[in-house]
Amino acid sequence: MPTARALRLCPGAMVVPVPRQVCGVKSREIHAVLTRFTPVVQGASIDEWYLDLTGTEALYRHEPLRETAHRIRSAVHEATGLTVSIGGATTRLLAKLAVERAKPKPGSGADGVRVVPPGDEAAFMATVALGDLSGVGPRFRERLAAAGLTRVPDVLATPEDRLRRALGDNAAEWLVRRCKGIDESEVRERESARSISHEETFGRDLTSDDDLGRELVDLVRRVAHHLRGDGLMARTVSVKLRDHDFRTRGASRTLPSGVIADRVILATAHTLLDKLRRARRGPVRLLGVALTGLEEADAEAQLSLFDDPGEATLESEKDRRLARAVDAVRKRYGTEAVVPGRVAERPAPGVRRHRPG
Amino acid sequence: MRLTISREKLQEALVAVSAAVPSKTTLPVLGNLLLETTDRGVRISGTDLDISVSMEVAADVETGGGITVPARKLSEIVRELPPSPVKLSAMGEQRIVLECGKSKFKLLGLPKDEFPAFPSVDFKSAWRVKSGQLQQLISHTAFAVSVEESRPILNGVLWEVREDTLRMVATNGHRLAKMEQPFEGGTKADFIIPPKALEQVRKLFPADEELEIARGENHLAFRSPFVSVYTRLIEGPYPPYDQVIPRDNDRLATIDKAELLSALKRMSVVASDQTHRVKLSFNSAILKFSVQTPDLGEGQDEIPVRYEGDPMDIGFNGVYLLEILRYMPTEQIRFTLKHPERAATIEPEAWADSGKYMCLVMPLRLVD
Repeated sequence: MPTARALRLCPGAMVVPVPRQVCGVKSREIHAVLTRFTPVVQGASIDEWYLDLTGTEALYRHEPLRETAHRIRSAVHEATGLTVSIGGATTRLLAKLAVERAKPKPGSGADGVRVVPPGDEAAFMATVALGDLSGVGPRFRERLAAAGLTRVPDVLATPEDRLRRALGDNAAEWLVRRCKGIDESEVRERESARSISHEETFGRDLTSDDDLGRELVDLVRRVAHHLRGDGLMARTVSVKLRDHDFRTRGASRTLPSGVIADRVILATAHTLLDKLRRARRGPVRLLGVALTGLEEADAEAQLSLFDDPGEATLESEKDRRLARAVDAVRKRYGTEAVVPGRVAERPAPGVRRHRPG
Repeated sequence: MRLTISREKLQEALVAVSAAVPSKTTLPVLGNLLLETTDRGVRISGTDLDISVSMEVAADVETGGGITVPARKLSEIVRELPPSPVKLSAMGEQRIVLECGKSKFKLLGLPKDEFPAFPSVDFKSAWRVKSGQLQQLISHTAFAVSVEESRPILNGVLWEVREDTLRMVATNGHRLAKMEQPFEGGTKADFIIPPKALEQVRKLFPADEELEIARGENHLAFRSPFVSVYTRLIEGPYPPYDQVIPRDNDRLATIDKAELLSALKRMSVVASDQTHRVKLSFNSAILKFSVQTPDLGEGQDEIPVRYEGDPMDIGFNGVYLLEILRYMPTEQIRFTLKHPERAATIEPEAWADSGKYMCLVMPLRLVD
């Protein structure tokens, strides 16, 4: 539920901002614990990881996976004070579904770990609702429901040609594979670095270009800092906009070479935002900036003759030096030590605080 | 239009002007060549709207006139013709008949009025330059232009005409080539010219010919008695290249060009395909090379040098160095340095020419 709607329903609710920085620190701490158990740890989001334990069996003396999972859970708790839930299975798809059952919600009887043993995949899948499969969004779920399909067994019991007629060849094929628990994707350490993005859902829809511009500066500052922190540079800058009526639009641009500096990313993002706003104006509830086309920042960079690259979306050595200098200050005095003027002077953070009054 | 021309003359003109014909175009007439009779014979012209080339060749003109003919087809036909006189006759505005010995072709063309007019350039105040001098300037600088579209101004060669010098400069932002030649009778003028046009100038005018050069509103025209090349100029301010030419490089190496070239070629084999990184370590009598490329391997080499200054390690894109060396006109070259992150210069050593030539190249930052 969007915060705005929650506040309409509960005007007295207190909204507190997410301490993003602290979350990031905790996330990295958890990641550090996980890598003690296996070298192959893939971050799926700030609070979600996939671990490939293949080959570590002897290390844990062939104990059941369930026990290793509990061991990991305790280690994370000990190191960070946070509790995590763990789902285990032979594929990522099943592990992701299993972790939902692992969460110790009241009345569920779950203890934080749920393992689907090899051989039990089909039986487990038979208990899954289609809406719980990742990749099945609300609209697709509606289409499936209209075709009389709500649970995995519904799909498996339907002849494939009927599914193809109802959903189209690709969707039918994909769905059947999912329902059979087939997932060939591997757990890869580096996959987390496919994109770096930040988005902000505003407490109150923003209408003025000036306000949006200021939020854009802040988002760019965050993604750029994150980008450099990971030792990466980006080729493609994307801007995402969600209008007040929940219509989501995006635009992106690929630059001639990888960039790291706020100035260049902002100049590109600004052009994209302007383009999106020209196409459709109106109150905006969410703004996001994503960087893709990530590659290792070329430390052995080719230096340029001219400091002024001649175009706003080209990066100069000066831009890079400035970005690194800002990072050095932030490392020493905290991420808020240096912020763009427009961000520093804005009235309140993106999420408004409401106090019961 | 009706005329007779030798196959060789026709072939020569077609080869010359076809270079200006675009391979793909949305304007059909640009795929054609314009044939027009003149007092001396026939003038054949081609254009892609950026560059226009025309050449006049001797022919026996029976009836005057003009027509446009598909460039590719005409060239392909003429290339295969026997060495006999070629008879060209226009049939109306859009058709031409070509006869040579027993061969006979009819080609569909377009009316000559559809062919874009050449830019108007007044040659009254033209200045005159020896073609050979231009050729030297062009061939030693044009290689350094940028081929990336992100900064169009660098896609051209800067030509600075001064009272007593002609100077050409080209750079892609990482390396730069600059050459100047003494010259008399110039008036101060700066142009930024697409290298494709300069390549035509270099190829089409014999070295000993004197050219007339004149400027139109946004064009530059090169003309000899039989050939003209018109080019669009690139507009905008050229970056202040003079400011980035180091004047205080105090480490100086004199190197045998052939030895340096072959060592760099060897190193390039194992250099990264992306960065082409080669590390050079300058020492009093030895220049060491080393390359380390993850996932591929490494290489080391060394050659003797004369070097004055403190020892220094510096990284370069090997391709940039190789390109520059290819154009260095002397056996020995002078390499000057200041700092691993500052521009290095490469110049010919003891060059017996009246001109001045220098190239500079920015290093790759080394991390180790």
